[in-house]
Amino acid sequence: MYLPDFEYYAPESVAEACQLLAQFGEKAKVLAGGTDMVVKMKNELLAPEVVVSVKNLEQLKKVEYVAGKGVSVGALCTHNDLVKSDVLKEKFASVANAARQMANNQVRNRGTIAGNIVSAVPSADLPPVLIALNATAKLVGAKGERTLAMEDVFAGPGKTVLANDEVLTEIFIPEQKMTGSNYIKFGLRKSGALAVVGVAVAVQVENGVIKDARVALGAVAATPVRAKKTEEFLKGKKVTDDVLAEAGVIASGECKPISDIRASAEYRTDLVRIFTKRALRKAVDEGHV
Amino acid sequence: MKENYSYVGHSVDRNDSYGKTTGHAQYVADLKFPGMLYGKLIRSTIAHGRIKSIDTSEAEKLDGVVAVITAKDVPSMKYGLSPARFDENIFCIDKVRYHGDKIGAVCAIDEETCYKALKLIKVEYEELEPVLTWQDAVKEGAPQIFDEYPGNVNTEIHHHFGDVDEALKDAYYVRTDKFQGQRAYHAFIENHCAAAYWEADKAFLYTTTQSVHYDQYHIARVLGMKMGNLTVRAVNVGAGFGGKLDTCGTEFAAIILAKLTGRPVKVWFDHYETFLNGHGRHPMTMTLTTGVDKKGKIVAHKFDCVLEGGAYTGLGIASSYYAGSLLGILYPIENYKFDCQRIVTTLPPCGAQRGHGQPQPRFAFESHIDLVGEAIGVDPIDMRLINARKGNSITTAGYEVKSYNLLAANRMARDASGWTEKRGKMGPGRGIGVGNGGFVTGAGFCQYRTDYPHSVGMVKVFDDGTRAYVYSNAIDIGQGSSTVLMQMAAEAMGYPYEQCQMVTGDTDLSTLDFGAYASRQTLMAGWAVTRAGAEVKKKILAKACEMLKASGRVKEGFGYLDGPLTTEDLECKDGIVYIKQEPAVKLTFEEVARKYFVDHGALVGRGWYHPGKLGGNHKGAAVGTSPAYSSATQVAEVKVDMETGEIECVDTWDVHDSGTIINPKLFHGQVHGAFYMGIGETIWEEVKFDPKTGALLNGNFAEYRLPTALDMPPVESLTLDESYEPNGPYGCKEVGEGATTPTMGAVANAIYDAIGISMTELPITYEKVWRALKEKKENGK
Ligand SMILES: Cc1cc2nc3c(=O)[nH]c(=O)nc-3n(C[C@H](O)[C@H](O)[C@H](O)COP(=O)(O)OP(=O)(O)OC[C@H]3O[C@@H](n4cnc5c(N)ncnc54)[C@H](O)[C@@H]3O)c2cc1C
Repeated sequence: MYLPDFEYYAPESVAEACQLLAQFGEKAKVLAGGTDMVVKMKNELLAPEVVVSVKNLEQLKKVEYVAGKGVSVGALCTHNDLVKSDVLKEKFASVANAARQMANNQVRNRGTIAGNIVSAVPSADLPPVLIALNATAKLVGAKGERTLAMEDVFAGPGKTVLANDEVLTEIFIPEQKMTGSNYIKFGLRKSGALAVVGVAVAVQVENGVIKDARVALGAVAATPVRAKKTEEFLKGKKVTDDVLAEAGVIASGECKPISDIRASAEYRTDLVRIFTKRALRKAVDEGHV
Repeated sequence: MKENYSYVGHSVDRNDSYGKTTGHAQYVADLKFPGMLYGKLIRSTIAHGRIKSIDTSEAEKLDGVVAVITAKDVPSMKYGLSPARFDENIFCIDKVRYHGDKIGAVCAIDEETCYKALKLIKVEYEELEPVLTWQDAVKEGAPQIFDEYPGNVNTEIHHHFGDVDEALKDAYYVRTDKFQGQRAYHAFIENHCAAAYWEADKAFLYTTTQSVHYDQYHIARVLGMKMGNLTVRAVNVGAGFGGKLDTCGTEFAAIILAKLTGRPVKVWFDHYETFLNGHGRHPMTMTLTTGVDKKGKIVAHKFDCVLEGGAYTGLGIASSYYAGSLLGILYPIENYKFDCQRIVTTLPPCGAQRGHGQPQPRFAFESHIDLVGEAIGVDPIDMRLINARKGNSITTAGYEVKSYNLLAANRMARDASGWTEKRGKMGPGRGIGVGNGGFVTGAGFCQYRTDYPHSVGMVKVFDDGTRAYVYSNAIDIGQGSSTVLMQMAAEAMGYPYEQCQMVTGDTDLSTLDFGAYASRQTLMAGWAVTRAGAEVKKKILAKACEMLKASGRVKEGFGYLDGPLTTEDLECKDGIVYIKQEPAVKLTFEEVARKYFVDHGALVGRGWYHPGKLGGNHKGAAVGTSPAYSSATQVAEVKVDMETGEIECVDTWDVHDSGTIINPKLFHGQVHGAFYMGIGETIWEEVKFDPKTGALLNGNFAEYRLPTALDMPPVESLTLDESYEPNGPYGCKEVGEGATTPTMGAVANAIYDAIGISMTELPITYEKVWRALKEKKENGK
């Protein structure tokens, strides 16, 4: 239980960070809160020769409302920054509430939204709700920047599409027609448990009819996944208990969970059914919660 | 019998609160000695095999490595709890018997180098087939793990009282149920750690332990030393729960490496290794058959139990006896048959954990008796009221029970919880359940054969009387024993608690006590220090009498005195000695103590305790004997999500028959913590191994899920006014372990009430509940 030897850089700008990453290539890793990476390094699962800490990039630690466009979340905001953000509480409380259910207070004080996304752990709590809200991720590299839909960031367990020299700088949640959204995390105790299943939904309901819906599932596939058949099913349906229950059944057919030390695939599949139904009901009745 | 005490019965502040809240308190891991080296154990990477060769040369070449030792460098004397089953070596000589078994130790200038050196050790094995369950271990042709345990049977117990088969024939109703427990872990926060140094031929060992005495005894024996040549010291101990009662290897390695290198050496475990060391709860496979009469009175009971022991015996024999010996304390059963086997496997050894062998059998029995009651239409609490033991009685096995208020505990729990309005009436997903429990207040026999007293105490008053040192090697592992012992000593002396100081955890300086296990210290060490305090008081009164007479302040025939002033006329309380009939005539304890010192030297009081010969003549009768038995009733109320199986415990009522409560705050702390451990083992906790390799899978606090604060219900901890134990100092008896024994049954029974399905396998996880509900639905019932 000790850290391997590594070279350490703490650049003052994103451009400098990208340059360092380009220079060292595969040998280098970005370090944010370290709640994922330092644990892996101590457990000998990861041994980067160069560590590029982004802790000095103050400009990436803000949550801001951009009038008419949406909410910009700096990639280095900690989970507790999200929990405490008035902007999020007002516009997308579902994101703040997802952050509140994570880990424990100590980890929420250190862990960042960027780390949560880029570590690409299938059970990570923030990606599903961000996908449901159609958020985008801004990646800045040595040669330029690009913006991807959140769901396109993930390539597999622990894998993203980020190039070696790319830094995730911003998550943008667009202003939208969705009238409600909700994320339900199911862990095996009330705190400090990774999600066995995570279900996020966003719905646009007008006069009791679902005009649009997005459903994203966590911990039940190699990456967070959209439940597209469920979304299609919901569109144009009147909100009834039966419709929401049916949506749950369809969603449970769209996931491909594994059995592991925490839960069987069979259990996870049924949990998707239950929580899709419940999350939809919340989003329909209570808005963005 | 309640008296007007100054300290007993009061929630005085703990003596260690300053150090622990400010961070000043030192644990073994904090200790540093000049020139100190660090050591770490080399562990087996397979579950079962013969060691063909060990190559330490690469490790020895690494910069900073000072020494590497293996079996060839240490004594080959075997150890364990009882001589018949000494089966463990300091380091494996020929075979490894679990993934993580101890093969040797590296010693280096710092911790990091130790880890690096470990990677350079090469062990070649002839691999043998792992044996990972007791069912596999007892199969025809299963690999033999120890030569001395044919068929991998470590021990067998057959206790038969009365005629069970005959009584079952005549019973009104007979029922058999099967239950399965899991392997659980103590989860104390301070990992194992030991530091040692030598001065000439004397070794000094600091270790995190529940008993400096047993460590001194066992380690000296294995190392071929005189006990007097080995000092064992404990500093602050970050809990134990049974896991720090046997040696774990850090102590042996530290002492031997310190001798070899001529420098102090500290050997420590990280959390993973502490998990690996195990010695926690045995998984038990339990089959219970009960016959009752029409009213629900038990006429016969049969208990078959298999304990999966892991490798080595350790305290496992005691666990096995405890599995069956305490049922007869709670419920008098004339016809009782207990058949038990402990089977060895190639997993880390199991041992003692809060409640020792009893909690899982309690879970099984308390669940089973509800099913029996239901079948004949008797309410669970009524079942218990019909069967509960009464005080001043003798058990079928011959144990004498003095105070016992289980009946009153059941009634109080019933009334406090609103049982009658709730049971069976809250609808699906809501339930309430009850469980009974209790424990010995100290074991009647020493772990090894000796005629020593079980506890020896001493009080020495400082020269000028401004401080009193209370001596006892009772170990405060966080439960607060030092505080309650000083309360009792202060009360006995008539001296302020605040001016007392504990001298403990040091086999050189303090006085013998067997340590923190079997919930024994408050009663046994309590007697020893109370008697020591009383002797001091006697000397103080005699000296005060002399001083008052000499002072001319008291005159014979002076109104309140009939004859000359005697010690009978004096009382000492809170540091003031006064004439009972005329309290204004007084001296301070301090001035009297000072005068005593001037006239006679040190003011010392001594006390000791031995429980005497306790009942039972059958083989194994020793386990279960005790001077006093606690009892307890818990009622738990739960909510179950009928779709997901998620369980939430919403409220609990916890009634304890623990005699006089010496310190209410500490008492409630025990009750709260015991419930926490109990509910953890009921719903969440289980140590898991790879089913093929036997490697530990969840040796960390992310995947070994202890409940969090949010999972804990409020605990209403209640006591009984009538509870008074004549065999305990001030009328006290235990709360430490007994409090954890009713919980699994109470919570499981509440779950039954909520979902209508009996969950017979621990832990009762959300997924198991989900599956049970699903199967019930699919079976259309
Ligand atoms: C006790 C504990 C409990 C936890 N509980 C939860 C939980 O309930 N839910 C949950 O989802 N997670 C949980 N986690 C995991 C972890 O805390 C979170 O995923 C956290 O968000 C990671 O963020 P970080 O800043 O610490 O990332 P780091 O560890 O610093 O980095 C993680 C990965 O992201 C990369 N990275 C970080 N920032 C950037 C960037 N700006 N650009 C490019 N790459 C980057 C790193 O190179 C690394 O590969 C828990 C962890 C612990 C230790």
